[in-house]
Amino acid sequence: MADDAPLLEARDIVVAFGSFRAVDGASLAIRKGEIIGLIGPNGAGKSTFFNCLAGERQPASGSIMLRGRDVTRASPEDHALLGLARSWQVPAVFDDMSVHENVMVGAFLRHPHAAEAAAAADQVIDFTGLRPVARARSGSLGTPARKRLEIARALATEPEILLLDEALAGLTPTEVRAAIDLVRQIHARGITLVIVEHVMEVILSLAHRAVVFNQGKVIAQGAPRDVVQDPGVIEAYLGRSLSRKPPA
Amino acid sequence: MSAATIPTAPRAAGRWVLGVAALAALLAWPLLVEDEFIQRIGALVMLSALSASAWNLVGGYAGQISIGHVLFFGCGAYASLLGFTWFEWAPILGAPFGIATSLLLALIVGSPTLRLKGHYFSMATIALAELARIVVVNTPALGGAVGVSGPAMPRSVLDLSFISPLPYYYIFGSVLAVLLLFTWWMSRGRMGFYLRAIRGQERAARSLGVPAQRYKLFALLVSAAFTSLTGSLYAAMLGFVDPDSGLGILLSVKMVIAAALGGAGTLFGPLVGSAILVPLEEMTNAAFGGGGTGITYVVYGAIIVLISRFAPGGLAEIWTWLRARGTRRGG
Amino acid sequence: MILAQVVLNGFLVGAVYALFSSGLTLIWGMMNVVNFAHGDFVMIAMYVAFVAFTMLHLGPAIFVPLAAIMLFLLGVLVYYALVRHVMRGPMLAQILGTFGLALVLRYATLWVFSANFVSLPENLLGEVQTFAGLRLEPSRVAAGLAALGLTIGLHLLLTHTALGSRLLAVAEDRSAAMLVGIRPDPMQALAWGLGAACTGVAGALIALFFYITPTVGESLALIAFVVVCLGGFGSVPGALVAGLAIGIIESLSAFWIGPAFKDLVVFILFLAVLWFRPQGLLGKA
Ligand SMILES: Nc1ncnc2c1ncn2[C@@H]1O[C@H](COP(=O)(O)OP(=O)(O)OP(=O)(O)O)[C@@H](O)[C@H]1O
Ligand SMILES: [Mg+2]
Repeated sequence: MADDAPLLEARDIVVAFGSFRAVDGASLAIRKGEIIGLIGPNGAGKSTFFNCLAGERQPASGSIMLRGRDVTRASPEDHALLGLARSWQVPAVFDDMSVHENVMVGAFLRHPHAAEAAAAADQVIDFTGLRPVARARSGSLGTPARKRLEIARALATEPEILLLDEALAGLTPTEVRAAIDLVRQIHARGITLVIVEHVMEVILSLAHRAVVFNQGKVIAQGAPRDVVQDPGVIEAYLGRSLSRKPPA
Repeated sequence: MSAATIPTAPRAAGRWVLGVAALAALLAWPLLVEDEFIQRIGALVMLSALSASAWNLVGGYAGQISIGHVLFFGCGAYASLLGFTWFEWAPILGAPFGIATSLLLALIVGSPTLRLKGHYFSMATIALAELARIVVVNTPALGGAVGVSGPAMPRSVLDLSFISPLPYYYIFGSVLAVLLLFTWWMSRGRMGFYLRAIRGQERAARSLGVPAQRYKLFALLVSAAFTSLTGSLYAAMLGFVDPDSGLGILLSVKMVIAAALGGAGTLFGPLVGSAILVPLEEMTNAAFGGGGTGITYVVYGAIIVLISRFAPGGLAEIWTWLRARGTRRGG
Repeated sequence: MILAQVVLNGFLVGAVYALFSSGLTLIWGMMNVVNFAHGDFVMIAMYVAFVAFTMLHLGPAIFVPLAAIMLFLLGVLVYYALVRHVMRGPMLAQILGTFGLALVLRYATLWVFSANFVSLPENLLGEVQTFAGLRLEPSRVAAGLAALGLTIGLHLLLTHTALGSRLLAVAEDRSAAMLVGIRPDPMQALAWGLGAACTGVAGALIALFFYITPTVGESLALIAFVVVCLGGFGSVPGALVAGLAIGIIESLSAFWIGPAFKDLVVFILFLAVLWFRPQGLLGKA
């Protein structure tokens, strides 16, 4: 694979629900080491696009290449195997399992033996700061810890690229700052990131490149500071509700 | 529910002692009790625990609630007794054929069925089992509505035809031990974690690289094999099977109930549930003179209703609750 | 001509299937609870009709509404005493609870009435008529038409009345309904009452021409499950179409292949549909 080839590339993705096109010809190329911020008003199609990237949903048309391979129709588990991990907008932790066990599920992907998976999970738990709740049943956690657990579990699969869907939504300002720190540390480990966020502060402080979605299309992309001043982007946001969104 | 119980180091030694004591008690009690009625109940508890534990792999650990497991049970029971009817084999020799048939059926119907979610899966499994029952009822070669019998008189030890219930208790118990060892080994490794993850959130599990379909199918295959073996053992002990006793819905539901009562997705849940339900059924039967009057099932049903009403998570829930209270008091 | 007779009979039975399945689909779609005792509710209603007729000498004009009222009360009682609590637990608890209830109802009836088959007199509503070459049994025709009318009535109740829209609001989104001031508990109890009342009417109607025995509920429940899965959870029109279809298919396969195989055909069709359209025939994609 050539060094300048994108790590993940989506071309002309279309997803339709009945006659409504939630994603309508969106393209995006992500290079290794980038942090991409995906923004756009509610219902713009970010999560739907995201689900295509992760293999959760198959686009009606368009193609997706991951590390030089066509994964347009590949299953989510194949995506994981190829080094793509994700979090869910609505946290989807395994309630009946402890935090440590949740992370172990991710760790088993690269460490088939329980002892090694447990050790790997321990490292991720320390890295993500979940040590104090490691033995708690994850169903008993509050939202901030759940979101963090989602990230930890995804990290345990040892991905090259991590997709975070509103992993910081619903957090207090202090928690947001802690989460931003965590994302920086993840990036420092050489992991490429795509983050969907409504909080502009996050995008401005983290993203190398901002990609703006509206009505299923990419309407602008570039340096975050330039993008937020783009008249088309402002129009898209003001045309709908304001950029802040009530917690899901 | 099956809340993760996390062993702490100092308790581990105590656990071993407790485990060995429990095992010794399980082995010894039937020898100390002379009453054959009670020994017989012991054997039936083991049989019920066997099928419920087999169900537990798919229904408990993987969370795919099958209400058609009697399909596999029937395969085993019929294979055993048809082997005798057709070739005069000892019933237990039919067991491998029952298992093979069950595996084949599980392979064929498992892939499409396991794609269904929630209630749809349960309904499909009911329909499959009913389908099998109707086919058997209408096929004279399979005994039709009348059923098939085993040897009237034991011809050799291989017939597994004993007057005392004790040999059955130990035979069923040994098979159960094998199954529980497998389950224990599985639950600690990747497969156990993956099945529980699938039960929790299948989509999330797949995004973490869990090949859900493959793991569910594998759990179903193991479960089907053991359920079928249980059917064969049942046939060897009872020497008779008909469409109701070998393929009736009630039997499927009993597996679900025994596991759910003791705690689905826990190692000993099915055994605990069986140890409560079987004596309950047998004793009400004895007290009210057989199933004819229906009282047995009224009592049985009422108790299940009460449990689901007051402890929807099964007895395991009461247990965790009590323990939580205990530790709060103690610490 | 005989084919027309077979289809007609299937249609009339199918209408009764549609009616009691509507009750199941209402509960299932609204609360995602499968009532494993549903068939036994129908059975209870059949015995209500039987007792009312043989012991109290009441006619269908009285025992059908009577069964509806009694089953309505049973449904509400079951909701408050059991379902409300069981719903909070895992799906297994629902199976445990409603199946336990099924056993209690079934075997208590067996205990009281014994396992014997009983039935109401065939000519309760008059003698068989022939019309255009078709044999019209008054009991079947009355049962079928009444069931058809009531199923449509239930649909209209849900879609065209304030009460219906409150019910559907709770079904759609419990917490949103609470925000607009609808208390879900009474609505869900009402759904159980209505669902059970459907079985009440259907049971009393089907008793006019069907054998009555304590275990009859088991096969009726299976039919209701199939109808609901095919019609889509929560859809009364779906249940109507699927119920009529099942009735006709059963009748045709009994005619062509043999009575013993009618359920076989139904189950095979059911599985085929599930495998190719997991959301049901009329369900939303
Ligand atoms: N399964 C579905 N069926 C029908 N419509 C859907 C489905 N999923 C999403 N949609 C619609 O597609 C559009 C895009 O949804 P999507 O969740 O991708 O938006 P989003 O940009 O992630 O919004 P948000 O910021 O609120 O998360 C929305 O209008 C939504 O209603
Ligand atoms: Mg979204």
